[in-house]
Amino acid sequence: MVKLSRTFLLVLCSIVLLTMLSGSASASVEYFEEEIKIGDGYQINNYVIDVTDVFITDKLAIFKVYENGDNEPIHDEMIGINESFNFDLENGEIELKLLSVGSGVLDRASVLITVRNVDTYLTGIVNGGHEYATYSGTPVIELTKTVDEDNIMVDDIITVTVTAKNTGDDKATNVIFSDPKQEHFILDKSILEQTGPMSMDVGASQTVFVYMLKATEAGSFILKSSTATFSNSANQAFPQASSNTPTITVTAPESLEVQKYAVLELSTDVDSMIVARNDKITATINIKNTGDAPASAVWINIIIPQGLEYVDGDSAIEIIGGVPKIYMESFGVQGEKEYPYTVKASELGTYTLTTKLAYEYDDGVNAEAQKDSTESVTENIYVQKGKYDELLEQPIYVYALPIIAIIAIGAWIFHRHKQYKF
Amino acid sequence: MLNILMVGNGQCGNRILDAINKQAFGGKTKFAKFYSKQKFKSRVETIVINTAINDLKELKHTKGKDRIHIPHLHGVGANRNIGKSVFTENKDLIMRQIEDRGRFDVAFVVTSASGGTGSSFTPMLIRELKERYDFPIYAIVVLPFREEGTLYLQNAAFCLRDMRDSGADGIILADNQFLKQLGGDIESAYNGINDMIAERILFLLDALDSDMMMVTDLGDFKTVMDGGAGLATIGFYKADKDVPVKTAIQKALSPSGLLFSTNVYDEASRAMIIIKGDKSYLSIDDISNEVEKLASAVGHVFKGIIVRNGEYPQVLAVLTLEFASELEKLYSVAVDAIQHEREKKERVDSKKEINKAFSQLDGLEPHY
Repeated sequence: MVKLSRTFLLVLCSIVLLTMLSGSASASVEYFEEEIKIGDGYQINNYVIDVTDVFITDKLAIFKVYENGDNEPIHDEMIGINESFNFDLENGEIELKLLSVGSGVLDRASVLITVRNVDTYLTGIVNGGHEYATYSGTPVIELTKTVDEDNIMVDDIITVTVTAKNTGDDKATNVIFSDPKQEHFILDKSILEQTGPMSMDVGASQTVFVYMLKATEAGSFILKSSTATFSNSANQAFPQASSNTPTITVTAPESLEVQKYAVLELSTDVDSMIVARNDKITATINIKNTGDAPASAVWINIIIPQGLEYVDGDSAIEIIGGVPKIYMESFGVQGEKEYPYTVKASELGTYTLTTKLAYEYDDGVNAEAQKDSTESVTENIYVQKGKYDELLEQPIYVYALPIIAIIAIGAWIFHRHKQYKF
Repeated sequence: MLNILMVGNGQCGNRILDAINKQAFGGKTKFAKFYSKQKFKSRVETIVINTAINDLKELKHTKGKDRIHIPHLHGVGANRNIGKSVFTENKDLIMRQIEDRGRFDVAFVVTSASGGTGSSFTPMLIRELKERYDFPIYAIVVLPFREEGTLYLQNAAFCLRDMRDSGADGIILADNQFLKQLGGDIESAYNGINDMIAERILFLLDALDSDMMMVTDLGDFKTVMDGGAGLATIGFYKADKDVPVKTAIQKALSPSGLLFSTNVYDEASRAMIIIKGDKSYLSIDDISNEVEKLASAVGHVFKGIIVRNGEYPQVLAVLTLEFASELEKLYSVAVDAIQHEREKKERVDSKKEINKAFSQLDGLEPHY
């Protein structure tokens, strides 16, 4: 007994020392000191270390390590007191050290089991050895979401059923189900709702949700998945399971399906296609809504090409950033307007006048305003030489000399007039 | 080049000088001053002097700086006594204006003998000029229409006397009475007389300073003007078609060509004849015959010929007179006019007795 106590003290000191030394280490270490009778075993997760023989006089013991209840040991070791053996377990390591042997009705071995870097979830002595150990498995919860109708009208009601089945090899424990709210639908009626926690044996099947949804708007919508969280029999948590996501197509009632359109027809006419330079051209923009919806935010941009100059026009035309523009808040169904404006032909050439139109309208179906645009381009406008262009093409001195002469004559006459004035 | 001073006194002198300036531009229109230059051969300074500012404003072809206004109401009202007084008061101003124009070789002073300012200023101005300068000074004096009234005739008589006393080197006479044969309305008659005198003066100035085939110069002119009784007149004829020079000379010496009524063959003392024109028209025989004919009557005739290609013959004759029967007639009429004015004044004075009749009412008031 005294010897055992010293050994125990030594082990304790060692533990304290190791703890101090390894205080900053990241690896986890667990210690299990047990007295195991012959024929019994010690389980660490799905591994069982059986004590098969104890030799009191020789101070030896035989240990066999079994995995998942297999009858063939993966390790078979005989060690003496203070001897140990190691083996890998999952991603870590197990060290078993024989501390002492003892006699009794059944001989027994005291051992110190050091578990390094193993996430232990099941430990303890197993009476009768590995054959009587309980091994943990992997439960698999399969969630199935079904709907009784997947093509419905707005305001129709569908029944959603969510079933769960454990298709794994272990019992699912602490099973908790959840089902999120569905957008574009409102919950009409909840018939069954079993959210847990509950257990599901291997192969067990369970209906967890039955409820009725009412479609509120048209469109194609995907139902959000139901989920389940669970653990295995060894209370190991597993990743959340999700159900499938059925797609429901909801169509609008007949009365809402009629779309309306604002159709603005645009044309631009000019009073003359052939003009002389410096002459003016009057263009008229005609706009008419031939659709069945009023237009709004109507913008008309008048594009004046280089060589033509905007002179004036209808009071609705504003010059914004150098571009003549018209803006209308709204333009009613069958509405029609004309906007005349005048441009001056300042350079020779061939031109067209472009009118760009952009507008919005409510089609009665979509929530967002619909946008549309169009443009019209006049036929070619030919700007030819003006009546006095020939004069303007003369060299500068042709104009300058007469002007200088006139000024000189004027100055001379003024001088003479002053000279002879009394 | 001669330096010639021309002074126009009074309305008549102003207008004649303005006509000279106008004709010097060569153009016939009033706009000639704007596009033309005066074609004086000599350096000619023209000065017009008047007490009536409106007369000065009417001038169109005389520079503003050449118009000298002597402020005295709006004229002296044909009163030579007032005119003389005004001249005396403004003598320095007038003489300074002349002095500022530089040195001169000869001066002509143009005036009417009958008006107020011209007839009073001119003799005094000539006297002042003669005292200060030694160049010859000639007066061009226009005599009035005889029917213009007694004041004008009186002024003309005294003006001519003052003019002779002033020291003038000669008096060239132009007689409105003689020139009224031109006819037309009063304005066109005056303008016609002024233009006629201006044309002759310009010809004379041109002749005194031109290159000639046969030369007459300022010296010859002075000699001519020194002859006779100090009075002279000018004859002129300008052919407007192919007229023989002989005829042109005869017409220049005839009454229609003269500025003053005289019989040149009887009354002239010396003469100067200047003939201008294309040499094809200038027959030396014709010219000599006519000059000899005149010389046989008056004694000496200076002769000058100016050749101007393409021009019809023009003849200018300056004639000094030994005596002037027409002037005697004028003085005869003038004496009557002076008598008439004196009698009228006496009558007016006698009518002052009527004031005595009114004086009987002194201190009395009407009672009703």
